[in-house]
Amino acid sequence: MSPQGPDFPSYVPSSRSLAMGDFPSKTFTSQSGIQATVQYGNRRTGQTLDLAYNNTTEDIAAAVYDHYLACKGTIYWFFVLEDVKKGNSTFHNQSSSSNGRYSATPWGMRYKYAEAPQFSSVKPGRMSVTVKLIGVLDS
Amino acid sequence: MTYYSGKDGTLTYNGSSVAKVSNWSFSSSVDTLETTAISDSDRSYVPGLRQFGGSATIFYYDDAPKALLEKIVSTSAVSESAVAIKLGWGGKYVQGNVIITSGELNCAVGEVMQATIQFQFTGALTGVTL
Repeated sequence: MSPQGPDFPSYVPSSRSLAMGDFPSKTFTSQSGIQATVQYGNRRTGQTLDLAYNNTTEDIAAAVYDHYLACKGTIYWFFVLEDVKKGNSTFHNQSSSSNGRYSATPWGMRYKYAEAPQFSSVKPGRMSVTVKLIGVLDS
Repeated sequence: MTYYSGKDGTLTYNGSSVAKVSNWSFSSSVDTLETTAISDSDRSYVPGLRQFGGSATIFYYDDAPKALLEKIVSTSAVSESAVAIKLGWGGKYVQGNVIITSGELNCAVGEVMQATIQFQFTGALTGVTL
């Protein structure tokens, strides 16, 4: 079990992209071409959440930077708060429940950094930040 | 109330007044950087980078606009050094360092030959009196 990191900085992103991941399974194909799929678990995993903060302030960029360090990079898991999920209220109207579509906790799923955040300098005082998070099942 | 017209206009290049200027223009603009968040219903922006540009048309006689034209119409490579330009009218002016981005010579029957240059300011203006 990896340790819990601090919550992800609570800022509304410029864009957000969710990929649902999948249920663990394996498909066998016989020589005749017939396929059989075995489901190994009843909890979806591998959900990815891509966030972009375009032309944002250095304070927000610094918050993401510091959070990545506080989470020891890709090691610690953490929760993603409401502000990060704002804008599509009907889509994630159960975000506080375990089945919320953007929730970090469906079936016990938490988020980790899938890779290091990217920071682009735009002009003095303004930066763009891209973050890629991945949902993981953690006991 | 003082109005200005073409007779008040001047174009100074590296400290020397350019003769026989027919017209000049100056423009400024600033980029906008979008800061709209997902939860917003209206786009929002902050100012980005600013830039200045302009153009001038000069009656061509002997070598009047030669120094400006030679910055771009030349057999040698274009120099990286910017030139100082001052666009004036009455006692007012804008000035800065520019790169000549285009030069055009026009020669037509029944018309006085003219040279047109366009320039891009580099860096901030070095002086403004509006």
